[in-house]
Amino acid sequence: MKPVYIAGAGMTQFGRSEWTLMQLASVASLAALHHANLGDIRVDGVVVANMGAARVNRQTALGSALVDQLALYPATAESVENGPASGASAVKIGVQAIASGMADVVLVTGVERMRVVNGLEGTDFVASLSHPEAEYIYGVTLPALAGMFARLFMDKFGVERKHLAMVAIKNHENAAKNPYAHIQQTVTMEGILTLPEAAVNNPPIAEPLHMFDCCPVSDGAASLVLVSEDVAAKLGGPKVRVAGIGQATDTHAVHEREDPTDLKSVRIAAKTAFDRAGLKPQDVDVVELHDAFTILEIAESEASGFFPRGEGHKALERGETRLDGALPINPSGGLKAKGHPVGATGVAQLVELVWQLRGECDARQVKDAKVAYACNFGGFGNNVVASVLQREA
Amino acid sequence: MSGKVYGMKCNSCGTVSYPKHAVCPDCRNERFEEVAIGGEGKVLTYTDVYALAIEYETRYLRLAIVELDDGIRVTGQLLDDEPKLGMRVKTILGTVRQSGETAIQGLQFVSV
Amino acid sequence: MGNISELEVLLRPPAMDMPVYPPKAITLASGETMVVRQVAREEVPTLLEAIYPLLWVERDFYDIVAARLFGELLAYKRYRVKDEYVLVGLIDGVLAGMVNGRLVDEKTGMSYHTLTIRRGLRVGSHLFAAKMEYHIEHCQQEEVLIVAESPIGFRRWMIEYPLEKKFEVQHEMGGVPSWLLPKDVYYAAKPRLVAGHRPISDELMKSSATIILPEEETVVRQVAGEKEEQQ
Ligand SMILES: CC(C)(COP(=O)(O)OP(=O)(O)OC[C@H]1O[C@@H](n2cnc3c(N)ncnc32)[C@H](O)[C@@H]1OP(=O)(O)O)[C@@H](O)C(=O)NCCC(=O)NCCS
Ligand SMILES: [Zn+2]
Repeated sequence: MKPVYIAGAGMTQFGRSEWTLMQLASVASLAALHHANLGDIRVDGVVVANMGAARVNRQTALGSALVDQLALYPATAESVENGPASGASAVKIGVQAIASGMADVVLVTGVERMRVVNGLEGTDFVASLSHPEAEYIYGVTLPALAGMFARLFMDKFGVERKHLAMVAIKNHENAAKNPYAHIQQTVTMEGILTLPEAAVNNPPIAEPLHMFDCCPVSDGAASLVLVSEDVAAKLGGPKVRVAGIGQATDTHAVHEREDPTDLKSVRIAAKTAFDRAGLKPQDVDVVELHDAFTILEIAESEASGFFPRGEGHKALERGETRLDGALPINPSGGLKAKGHPVGATGVAQLVELVWQLRGECDARQVKDAKVAYACNFGGFGNNVVASVLQREA
Repeated sequence: MSGKVYGMKCNSCGTVSYPKHAVCPDCRNERFEEVAIGGEGKVLTYTDVYALAIEYETRYLRLAIVELDDGIRVTGQLLDDEPKLGMRVKTILGTVRQSGETAIQGLQFVSV
Repeated sequence: MGNISELEVLLRPPAMDMPVYPPKAITLASGETMVVRQVAREEVPTLLEAIYPLLWVERDFYDIVAARLFGELLAYKRYRVKDEYVLVGLIDGVLAGMVNGRLVDEKTGMSYHTLTIRRGLRVGSHLFAAKMEYHIEHCQQEEVLIVAESPIGFRRWMIEYPLEKKFEVQHEMGGVPSWLLPKDVYYAAKPRLVAGHRPISDELMKSSATIILPEEETVVRQVAGEKEEQQ
């Protein structure tokens, strides 16, 4: 396999947007292309990640549509729908194209415009990734799966609601330093948990998870420019290499997993990514995890190999995952506060990490970050993509 | 749906899976017989979910994963006012979702 | 208002005695304190100023709500609605949202509108709850009639409380079918929907004595959910 580099990264503001799907995708793509500063080097292929456009925006074949927007013909074009893991999946496909020698420059853009429909329909469209006969018909939604997971996980490892709140407080604080974040509002333990008012401020969404344990519903797009070693050399500038990507699947119905608290797909994906990178979790300086629900940040931090099983919440409590801690997790604000435009998320996680590795994150910059890790958690853990990026020179 | 909930029993190794797959997850055999799923068991986990699809006009829905005594696990609706982890329940069939005119039947759990 | 004309007396609806809403303080998710208090007629022009730019914001039906609220507030100021009241939420004196309604008769209240300016902190839920509290606890009414004009409102009030259908009664606001919050449903929902404490400190009283308006641009941006553009 040939080495693959990320030459440019860009995104739109996350949140509610009036822009069309293609406007969002174009703005993020152009930001990434400008960041890469390709000059007259051609883009060979475009991969677009998205989950809901066919349903909520009534648009399909987004890859070709984006080529047209950016006038990149005759570049190749693909669209990837892989649930909430669409983003990192699309990146993986772009990486494969370059690693195999079939392309030198690939633009990967994740985009979602889900606020066009009301919250009820938005919830339902994401829920359609659950098992149609064994889960969906019962009223299962993503928050419901997360709620059941949280109850079991918390009972087993002694995680309390205050730990979940700590994730939210930390990630909201980070997002307040991220101009691209959907929610730039800090929250307090009193306001979301301990005062009587918290009952109203932070209503239940899927017990034991409350509103501030859930990501908001966002519009947005994020984009990366992947290049071959030759192109990276020509471009000069900071070099961020895709050191390793791992992916793993698990049973569709959550109840079929031997131990539903064990995020096996995360474990396997992370191990594969680290093995391919020739690195270990201990080498990592900065992390983006898929905290669609606060409990997932804790569980993924363990399954990815950063902390022993059942110890994630203790590391959190000790402040290790804060921006100024030993292993900052979700400096961008995470899905919790940066927002979660589903198909864009996996790309956006890597955008943040590229910026971190290039030292371009201003107030939320993690010092001297050289190795970065992201976990894009699809389905409810039935399809996970883990990525390791490394700064060279 | 004929009103019952079915899983599949592998003709080769006898493993019962729910939901159905096209291939036995244990031995990769491709031939099965249908078996009705249900009986008594205990609540493995549950939630009260308020983030619901539009078809549900209730404030929240109580969902659970139940481990049946035969080892099969199922997801369904828990009809009990005092849910607890590990509580004993049995399955019944009821309307779990209204899709337009169609009342979809599925598993519900009541305490025993 | 010592010497109003005889005609004006006829034009004004007869007024019932209404208790004053005792101010309360609520700590929000952000840790900020929001004071909820009733406004006097003299303060209405300030509120009109805040609402005016929202008349053209279509998102989440703010235009409809703003236009109707504008009319209702004006009518309140100029004595053309029977027994109306207006409550505001103030954070450090800055207007975060407002709600209004009126008493139909001694037994029944009617909720008019809820308009949130500072979004994302459940300000609307707190203020809506405060107005239900006013009708049921302070005015001692039996029930409140409510309508929703936006999907957000529908989910917040109809499902969260939950309200009962009272479709045979059409709301004054153009015939949208009504929903009802009876006293017992209010008290059942109170622990999860009504928050805040009283009395409020002198300091808070002072800082919320005068309504401060956020910049017009800020109001529109917060409501429409737009952020300063990147790049
Ligand atoms: C938690 C949830 C139900 C709240 O929905 P809601 O109460 O209808 O919220 P609204 O859409 O009315 O949002 C109003 C404001 O509240 C705030 N808000 C909404 N959800 C929030 C959250 N989860 N955390 C913090 N603030 C939130 C925002 O400021 C929002 O303003 P915006 O319109 O500018 O975004 C919703 O965000 C949700 O369903 N999240 C989960 C999404 C999901 O499952 N994604 C897929 C996971 S893989
Ligand atoms: Zn078998």
